[in-house]
Amino acid sequence: MVIAMNATTDLMPDIKLHAADVSVFYGEKQALFDVSLDIQERSVTSFIGPSGCGKSTFLRCFNRMNDVIPSCRVHGKIIMDNVNLNSQEIDPVLLRARVGMVFQKPNPFPKTVYENVAYGPRIHGLAASRQELDFIVEDSLKKAGLWKEVADRLNDQATGLSGGQQQRLCIARAIAVGPDILLMDEPCSALDPIATTIIEELISNLQSRFTILIVTHSMQQAARVSQKTAYFHLGKLIEYGDTKDIFTRPQNAKTEAYISGKIG
Amino acid sequence: MNRSIVHSDNNLAASPLYSAGADVRMAHIAAGLKKRRAASKRLKFYGIAAIATAIGFLCVLLTTIISNGYTALQQTEIAVTIDVPVDELGDEAGNIDLEKSLAYNWDGLVKRSFRQAFPEVTGMMQQRSLGELISANAGYELRLQIEAAGTLPSGPKSYWVKSSDDVDMLMKGRIDRSIEEKMRRVKDDQLAWVDQIDAAGGMRLVFNTTFFTAADSREPESAGVLGAIVGSALALIVTVIVALPLAVMAAVYLEYFAPPGRVTDFIEVNVNNLAAVPSIVFGLLGLAVFLGFFGMPRSAPLVGGMVLALMTLPTIIIATRASIRAVPTSIRDAALGLGASPMQTALDHILPLAAPGILTGTIIGIAQALGETAPLIMIGMVAFIVDVPTSFTDPATALPVQIYIWSDSAERAFYERSSLAIMVLLIFLISMNLTAVALRRKFEKKW
Repeated sequence: MVIAMNATTDLMPDIKLHAADVSVFYGEKQALFDVSLDIQERSVTSFIGPSGCGKSTFLRCFNRMNDVIPSCRVHGKIIMDNVNLNSQEIDPVLLRARVGMVFQKPNPFPKTVYENVAYGPRIHGLAASRQELDFIVEDSLKKAGLWKEVADRLNDQATGLSGGQQQRLCIARAIAVGPDILLMDEPCSALDPIATTIIEELISNLQSRFTILIVTHSMQQAARVSQKTAYFHLGKLIEYGDTKDIFTRPQNAKTEAYISGKIG
Repeated sequence: MNRSIVHSDNNLAASPLYSAGADVRMAHIAAGLKKRRAASKRLKFYGIAAIATAIGFLCVLLTTIISNGYTALQQTEIAVTIDVPVDELGDEAGNIDLEKSLAYNWDGLVKRSFRQAFPEVTGMMQQRSLGELISANAGYELRLQIEAAGTLPSGPKSYWVKSSDDVDMLMKGRIDRSIEEKMRRVKDDQLAWVDQIDAAGGMRLVFNTTFFTAADSREPESAGVLGAIVGSALALIVTVIVALPLAVMAAVYLEYFAPPGRVTDFIEVNVNNLAAVPSIVFGLLGLAVFLGFFGMPRSAPLVGGMVLALMTLPTIIIATRASIRAVPTSIRDAALGLGASPMQTALDHILPLAAPGILTGTIIGIAQALGETAPLIMIGMVAFIVDVPTSFTDPATALPVQIYIWSDSAERAFYERSSLAIMVLLIFLISMNLTAVALRRKFEKKW
């Protein structure tokens, strides 16, 4: 398989996630065909491809968000720490505490800034006291680069923040649970260029702590933030490799057509 | 039908207007414009006419109810000078002895005192006829009045006692004096007495407090809606307690947990169908299950509330599901993505956001239940109850049932009381609906 060859063996100790023959069906329709790839630890991996190519569907396999869709079935294995995440024995609730997710549209809860960040630690019982919770909230907001802007408005409604701030709040909210992996599903597609730049810088900063998987429509963004890039087309993984190789020397004609703007 | 333009160009007729110049085409369109405008004007007129008709009917209805019912807000009273016999009723200190009071013939006292003002009336029949001017419950009400005061008045004193319903109707102009005596409820000699008392200032119209403080009675002047209001309130409390949690849980399950399939579809279809089931069927169900099988008390607000809850259930389920669906899925995704369990997602995020919609649906369902008569008839809440119910198992009646009972009564005075009771019911319904609107306005969230 092309993928196995692309993933260099000397990186094996750093492999955080290993997807093997992942196929996804929506009812009778197959949306993803036998995708296999390895995700490197503490790096940014971007999934690119035209609309409907299955990149978001694949991303949602990593925290079992596809379980929410009744007609959706996921086949294949996703291995993290020698455990198959796709097995029925894995509780998605536990999994999602380790694999955080940031969505396309900023979706803060219509509560205060503080409550948004505190919700995750609270439901998982991560803070024994108010002081501990305060610390988690502050630390998460700092990591998300939002602390300075909201330190004096923690009790304001989160929906009153700007779009970019809301998205960083969503990142802080995901970080607060203490995950290893962050999934980002087109996190900048609803934001203006300045907010996008801030988020991209944040992603580069977060890379030292988290394994980040990002779906993006912007090839420039993929080139800027990620070390590895996977190109999807019609539910199939066409090419996967180092970002700089994908964008400069694509091996596959379809990849080349896409990055040169001929399809998509 | 498979029409293919490509292969039938031989059969196509060239439209002269389509190929003509712009001015010709415009002239053609302009010519048809008048007709089009007329059509849309006509349609607008039909709409306005339909709304005007509806408002007209509503006005007629409200005018009828109000003009029939407003007089029930007042009650005629007659002044009677009564000398309460202290030696027969009280102890040495002049305080009333309740046991003696209970045994005492208060009716006789009132009637005797009243007749004393007409010494010229002597015949047995005439005296009875005179006594009919006073309410049959006048003695009982005088007793309550004096017992409440605690001390007995010494010497003759003037009391206002309620007139009979016929005199009341006469004073309010609802009995036509010109009708032949045989056909008239108030006879000629009674008319003369009433006029005599009235001329002497012994008649007055006062606010009818009894209507709002008493339960039902055989005598219209002693009948009130409080019993029915309390009965309705008790039943509706049961309805909310039973229906709201059941409906919300059912809706959350159907929206979030139910596995898609035939069983879920079947349940969904039937929930929607239940909303259209005639309410009397729910009454029969209540009769068979609650009274027949479980042996619960007849005529009790507890059972009435449970039957109404069954009836309201589909309304609240449908409203709850709609407002749950109105919560953006992004909120659900956010909570699930953080590792919240489905139950935590529903309780912490979805339901609080859906609450205004759920509340509105509940109030509308309850308002519907408040106006419901048929199911209550089946479980015996149609009874004649003279006491205001004090618990959920006391026999009681409900407001619409009370209206039904009164409208069926022979006395003219019950007729105006049923109209007034309808006004009370309408006020409750309107205020409930306004509350629903206000809640929705206040708590509606924008995304």
